[in-house]
Amino acid sequence: MDTWGLGLILGSLTASTAAFVWLALKLGGKSKKGGSMTGDDFADQAKKDVEHIFNDEFREELRNRGRLHFEKIIGENAMFLQQDLRLTTSQLNEYMKTEITRKLQEEFTKYEESITDAKQMAIESITKTQETIEQQRLMMSQQLSQELANEKTRLIDRFEENMADIVNHYVLAAVGNQIDLNDQLEYILSDLEANKEAIIRDLNDGA
Amino acid sequence: MEHNNSILVLPVGAVGRLDVGRLLREAEALDEFLTQAAVREPGTALKLPKTSKLLDDMLTSNKLNGLVVEDRQRIISFLQSVKGQAPTMHISFSADPSPLFVQRLVSYLRAEIHPLVLLQIGLQPNIGAGCVVRTTNKYFDFSLRQRFKENRGVLMSKLQGLPDKKPETPVPVAVGAPTAPEVASV
Repeated sequence: MDTWGLGLILGSLTASTAAFVWLALKLGGKSKKGGSMTGDDFADQAKKDVEHIFNDEFREELRNRGRLHFEKIIGENAMFLQQDLRLTTSQLNEYMKTEITRKLQEEFTKYEESITDAKQMAIESITKTQETIEQQRLMMSQQLSQELANEKTRLIDRFEENMADIVNHYVLAAVGNQIDLNDQLEYILSDLEANKEAIIRDLNDGA
Repeated sequence: MEHNNSILVLPVGAVGRLDVGRLLREAEALDEFLTQAAVREPGTALKLPKTSKLLDDMLTSNKLNGLVVEDRQRIISFLQSVKGQAPTMHISFSADPSPLFVQRLVSYLRAEIHPLVLLQIGLQPNIGAGCVVRTTNKYFDFSLRQRFKENRGVLMSKLQGLPDKKPETPVPVAVGAPTAPEVASV
């Protein structure tokens, strides 16, 4: 309800009260103008006239009229107020709808921008992470390949070294005791013959 | 060594310095006995000491007479010279060699290497076969173990299915200590 509606209601109530008071004073003034009577008589006469004029029926009639008029004014004002309320509500709804829509659009726009930025950042971060992971993978792959190659070389070397020793040890253990020294004499003498000069030289002059 | 000693022949039974020392003691004992016997009264019973086969061989091979003082002195002088100055070779085998084997080896060494060379026989079971010779300053590994080491490339080539590699050149002459300790020596 706006101020004008409230003022209109109050003005109507004030005008009704003023009209009622004015009517009462008017009737009282006419009764004072009749005959020469004492003050008490006038007072009694006035009291009687007032009671005669404003008897209970008349008062009830006035009261009913005032009530009806008041109800009518109240109803009209309530209708006006209702219309104003409806109008205000609709305007308010429209305003709220517009504002909310605008705000929501702004917020959605900001939200979309934020999401876009976050998405872009996430994509960049993921891209960087993927690049880093790829680099790490390549580096680890190279290291792993190098380690595998080294391990393979080491195992092969160890295998070769140990395998030769194992085979030699096995053959020596298996065959060594089975060869008679007498059978080895020719072999030993041939070796001595092959190195005879060195042995002679060492025995003779210690060279 | 003196020239008169060089004409004597050391029997193949005298393999090492211990044998020479034993022979020398026996010759000295014989010489002492016969020297004492020379001053005995004639007609006294005399029982000659029993000489060892080694001394007999030496006397026989050198055509010497043990009853002759000069021969005995010559033998003693020769053996002392041999014991003190003869070159010594150290040979290790995978098993204990038989006396016949040692005699054949000594015969070869005294015929081809040095006529007065002495042997010290050792035992190294881990060489498999062959021998390890150590002279004054050098070390000769003629063992099967060394042959395996030299042909290790061939073994690995066979294991890997590769073409044969040429074996490493034998290095029989090497200065230093033997690769494995001796277990026993004669």
